[in-house]
Amino acid sequence: MNAEVVLFYAFAVLALLSAGMVIASRSPINSALSLVATFFFLAGTYVLLLAHTIAVLQVLVYAGAIMVLFLFVIMLLNLTETEGERAKVTFGRVAGALAAVSLFALLALVVMGVKGAPTAMATAELARFGTLAALGQTLYTEWLLPFEAVSLLLLVAIVGAVVVAKARI
Amino acid sequence: MSRTVFILVSIFLVIPALLAGVMMGAYALGGWLDGVWFPGAHRLTNILVLMLVFVMVLASLLTLAERKWSALMQNRIGPNRADLFGRPVPAGIGHFIADALKMLTKEDFRPAKANTFLYNLGPLLAFAPVFALFAVVPAGPTLEVFGKTVDMVVATPDFGLLFIFAIASLAVYGTSLAGWSSNNKFALLGGVRAASQMISYEVALGLSLVGLMMAFSTVQLPAFVGEALGTGQFRYLWGNDAAMGLRPGFDVGLPAWGIFLQPVAFVLFFAAAFAETKRAPFDMPEGESEIIGYFVEYSGMKFGMFMLSEFMEIVILSGVMVVLFFGGYHLPIGEEWLRGTELMRSYPLLLGAVLGMVFWLKVLTLCYLQLVVRWTFPRFRYDQVQKLGWKMLLPVGLVNVFVTGALVLWDPSLRLLALSGLLVIAVVLALTMAAPGEAPAEAHGEGHGHAHGDTTALPPSHAHATGHAQVHALNAHTAVPQKLETPERTPVAASH
Repeated sequence: MNAEVVLFYAFAVLALLSAGMVIASRSPINSALSLVATFFFLAGTYVLLLAHTIAVLQVLVYAGAIMVLFLFVIMLLNLTETEGERAKVTFGRVAGALAAVSLFALLALVVMGVKGAPTAMATAELARFGTLAALGQTLYTEWLLPFEAVSLLLLVAIVGAVVVAKARI
Repeated sequence: MSRTVFILVSIFLVIPALLAGVMMGAYALGGWLDGVWFPGAHRLTNILVLMLVFVMVLASLLTLAERKWSALMQNRIGPNRADLFGRPVPAGIGHFIADALKMLTKEDFRPAKANTFLYNLGPLLAFAPVFALFAVVPAGPTLEVFGKTVDMVVATPDFGLLFIFAIASLAVYGTSLAGWSSNNKFALLGGVRAASQMISYEVALGLSLVGLMMAFSTVQLPAFVGEALGTGQFRYLWGNDAAMGLRPGFDVGLPAWGIFLQPVAFVLFFAAAFAETKRAPFDMPEGESEIIGYFVEYSGMKFGMFMLSEFMEIVILSGVMVVLFFGGYHLPIGEEWLRGTELMRSYPLLLGAVLGMVFWLKVLTLCYLQLVVRWTFPRFRYDQVQKLGWKMLLPVGLVNVFVTGALVLWDPSLRLLALSGLLVIAVVLALTMAAPGEAPAEAHGEGHGHAHGDTTALPPSHAHATGHAQVHALNAHTAVPQKLETPERTPVAASH
């Protein structure tokens, strides 16, 4: 077992553990912090996949910005441990659980079908793979249209948020 | 008289000699370790020397420098009482040791209803990210030492600047968790303020450097500095260097430094990064006079870690600004000549010492600038901070990106960009020079100039005016108790 495998298992187990903590812990602050930890361990697995840029963006965007906003809201509303009433089994909840399980099965099928590609790469190609320059090049040439479409979608979301938040503009 | 001579000698001789000596030692140590262990082992000594020796020692000395400097600006003497074995220590240096001892030996108090785990985690989460930031900042050139290639940087990831943005954004967890877990309303207010301020200024922080990334077409900090002649900031925009075809004895010219190419970006980055360090005028999360801050319940070394991380942020921010805007470890003129001299070619260690000294002197100058800013401007109001971030820095940053992009596309030699940058500097200087005539009118509207968001362009006389306003406020403050004291003594005495 080489170091990469050891690291992978360490990151994977810790990511699963902290992801479990997100839904298991009663205090909202602990949940949010567990989610931050999950993002970190996921960033670790991205590094093992040679996706360095994705890893650092994961920390920058999710752990550094979005989760800070979450924490801010939790602190501002001063949410504390709430004695949640025992959940009732309703039709909606059962359907949601079934949908989640089937989505997981579908994703597992898709992931199993992917062949292990990176080992076949030449070393020169491998050195460039996942770097900021390579990612930028792919994003702005091959995937320019989807990239712009996504940015438009985000703009729509921002405008929508402003409209919802502000009754009178 | 002797005091002035002492200060001048220490500034111009002792400090540079000390810096150069430590840098030479760092290179020698790195080269030696590479030889006896494995190639690349010098990165370990770089961690030791750059992060533990330079950043930590500078940060802890800055705690004293800040007290001394504020005393100088407020016409006081400042700390001068700590003796060492009964002998007076010059410049109050003894206080830095006394402060450290006090922090370490003070009782570690914990509020009864605090969340123990998060309360203990807070200082660590505030300290660790800041400590890791210096890893990507190059402090000296790559040299051949004892036949081994030694560089003066801890890590060179290909996403360079993104590392700084990512890790810097994590520091807010420490402050906001400290505020929340203390179970104190004032601490919570401080933590919430810190979180909102960080979120607002991160956007402007990232956007301000996009123009610079385009101009140098890189995000790696060593590439910004430029290792070989003619790359990064190690070249002249206009000068008599080898690229011009002639090679005189001494090369002079206008170096391609970030400050000449992107003065607007420098102002934006400085303001946004200053807000991230949470120091006045952006010290809303601390605000000693309104809420004591997110660390109100901390004592001893836990508080010390919050304070030290703030001072480390000063050093690191200076280091990043030197690398991005002030040519890193390069001399403004004559470095090509220096590298060509017989002495430097036969002793590369000496070159490392000189250029490393240049880097740290630039860092010290920018640290000094930050101290001056902190003791010159009064605190913003909370809405002013948000307005400055979203309505001034962000739009100006966006415009800067587009203008820079157009100018870089038009003239890839960057001379056009430099011309526009010099024009901006000239306009700012002209406005600064022209302003003193209007200053008296501003004296009563205390500090509203800051809302314009032009933090560096403020004329010196303006600082003067706010100073006057503060003095008036102080007089009014002291006058009130005197009036009260005459009719009835007891309640006033009780309130004292």
